[in-house]
Amino acid sequence: MDITIYTATGCARCKIVKGFMEERGISYVEKDMKADGKDDFQAFYKANRSAVFRGPEGIEFPIIYDGENIRQSIGAALAFLHAGKKLDGFFTVGTLHKEWVNGIHVSGGDPRYAEEFLYILRYLKDKNMKLQLETTGKNSGVLKQVLDEGLADVMIMDVLGPEHLYSRLAGEEIDIEDIKASLGLIQSFPEYKIRTVIAPVIREDGSVSYLTPEEIALTAKLIGEGSGSNKLPYMLKAFEPKEAQNPEFRKLEPIVNLLPYRSKARTYQVFADIEK
Amino acid sequence: MGHPTIYPTGTTLYNPEKAFNGYTIFQAAEYGAMLINMNGKEVKVWKGLHGFPNKMLPGGYVMGSRGARDTRYGYQDNVDLVQVDWDGNVVWEFDKYEFIEDPGNEPRWMARQHHDYQREGNPVGYYVPGMDPKVDGGNTLILAHKNVYNKKISDKRLLDDTIIEVDWEGNIVWEWCCNEHFDELGFSEAAKNVLFRDPNMHDCGGGMGDWMHINSMSVLGPNKWYDQGDERFHPDNIIWDARESNIIAIISKKTGKIVWKIGPDYDVCKELRKMGVIIGQHHAHMIPKGLPGEGNILVYDNGGWAGYGLPSQTSPYGTKAQRRDHSRVLEIDPITLKIVWQHTPTEAGYLQPFHSHHFYSPFISSAQRLPNGNTFITEGSGGRLMEVTADHELVWEYISPYWGKKFKLNMIYRAYRLPYEWVPQLDKPEEVAIERIDVTTFRMPGAAPLGCDDIVEVEGTLGYGDVDGFCVTTEEAPAVNKDDEDDEYSGVIRI
Repeated sequence: MDITIYTATGCARCKIVKGFMEERGISYVEKDMKADGKDDFQAFYKANRSAVFRGPEGIEFPIIYDGENIRQSIGAALAFLHAGKKLDGFFTVGTLHKEWVNGIHVSGGDPRYAEEFLYILRYLKDKNMKLQLETTGKNSGVLKQVLDEGLADVMIMDVLGPEHLYSRLAGEEIDIEDIKASLGLIQSFPEYKIRTVIAPVIREDGSVSYLTPEEIALTAKLIGEGSGSNKLPYMLKAFEPKEAQNPEFRKLEPIVNLLPYRSKARTYQVFADIEK
Repeated sequence: MGHPTIYPTGTTLYNPEKAFNGYTIFQAAEYGAMLINMNGKEVKVWKGLHGFPNKMLPGGYVMGSRGARDTRYGYQDNVDLVQVDWDGNVVWEFDKYEFIEDPGNEPRWMARQHHDYQREGNPVGYYVPGMDPKVDGGNTLILAHKNVYNKKISDKRLLDDTIIEVDWEGNIVWEWCCNEHFDELGFSEAAKNVLFRDPNMHDCGGGMGDWMHINSMSVLGPNKWYDQGDERFHPDNIIWDARESNIIAIISKKTGKIVWKIGPDYDVCKELRKMGVIIGQHHAHMIPKGLPGEGNILVYDNGGWAGYGLPSQTSPYGTKAQRRDHSRVLEIDPITLKIVWQHTPTEAGYLQPFHSHHFYSPFISSAQRLPNGNTFITEGSGGRLMEVTADHELVWEYISPYWGKKFKLNMIYRAYRLPYEWVPQLDKPEEVAIERIDVTTFRMPGAAPLGCDDIVEVEGTLGYGDVDGFCVTTEEAPAVNKDDEDDEYSGVIRI
């Protein structure tokens, strides 16, 4: 496997990925976008603009490229180098800085490759990185292993909605007992929070509408049932239509006032609040 | 107010011909919500009902709180806000703002209400003809607290002021958080520096900075400025004041942004220099439409100590940077920023600066405009309520006889005058005039009467001429041209 790695001078994460390749005997070519590799990176970025994430603070490095596949940021790069495409879905581009790594999704990948997933988390922890993981509750077995090995410093659980809408919101069949099992684990992480994005739902009749305050109350109730607590740090977040992939969702007006949702959520989760 | 050791309490002066006759509601310290008539007769007490403040609604209803949070963990947090009928039954209540688990206390929901609230139908919480607050429905605006971190303001935990709107069912339908508008407040770099290091820290709950201390919040209501097209004064907009920062501001109900403001600095324009610094103020509100002075801002400018600024010999760390040892009630035109009426120690008849402290409450207090043009003033720290006419004649005065046993003051946070018809349960009382007693001849039992039996003339004495100041100069000097608009030092009075 011939890898090109795009780096930035002084980027510690890039060094970790280069070290990983050296340990595995993977040959690579480094292009430092702040030094000699600047022109090469600009050409690469120009040709692959849609595949490279550029956040408000710029482009996250490292980026690896094998002539066909592009993986950006430390987690996704290591996962690809370790297991190819098997771990796709577990890692996306992170946005945290210094020792913190995010963009790690317990529910996003295939649980059959849990061991490969955990290997990457262990590798990152061995390099003194702090990990912020996310879950929607799916893959509670993997979550349990993450917990047992102490691989997450922060766990964020996105509870998508009430029980009767969970599969519809996830876009796949969901075993609600899997979600409840994850909720039962969440309080054991060193730091955690639970949140729900007030998302649009494609209703049975095909219409699109946001989750209602009553449905958020049921979501809070689900959290209580799964976790056994009505005092969890539960945050509500507004959906941002501009960032939606579904073109129908992009047509929606953003919700301005989340207070009715908070009021309803507090029926079952007394510390529910609005994430700003 | 400087008190002698012995002085009367209750109603001390009353002119029924000139007063706006009615009942007065106030919180009798550590006793309950007290309703008195003009002669000071206590006609009703809702025992144990806290009031921060108490307000009456038509029909004999009173609003207040059933208690306050454990002071080891919260600062000035009332547990709830309730509406109580004449017989003490709670007919409306709100507490679901924050779930609180204070050690040693039963976990519970709390409103964390403090200092003010307004029931829909009336913008300011006191009697305005044709603007009765609703008693069996409507929304309520509540001034509340929330603990937040905002590193832009300080690295300390902050006790933030919030305004929430609650519907009759207790749902919060609108919320405004002061800390989110820090950039709009106009603090100088010096003030920001002080604020960051010491945002008015209190020890309770492990420490929290009461950085603004908003103590008044009311709706503008219909007003002539908006009628003339000035959007800043939309009737739904909210006016508040903050004693720690000396700011009075109006926020847009729609956007939450500050649309009108005076303070924290009063030297930024000619109009404010002329007004003079407002310090530690209370109860800034727009006089509602239909009352004399409608559209003007009425405020009790306490004096005392407040504001963040440069260190000085009286403020080594820049906290409580502005100080004054007397109060002023100001009526301000919000467009021209001119003082159109004021009641200061001078108008009250006290020689400035020698006796300025006789009109002084360094904290709490309020001013209410009455339908006949009089102004009802709570000079809170000494528990004195008074009504003065537009030309400053004192036509009613009352001193609270209720001293707290735990907090040893007879203070009254804020009292309100209300018309007799708001209390249909009572017959209109008899109004008995109380003449101003001549204190030069008033004596306690056993004290000698005025006058000496043995007076002798001293040869060569010059008599007593005019005295222009005694050790200190008077406030009136130097002379200015009051009619000169460009003279920033001219004005009603400079303090």
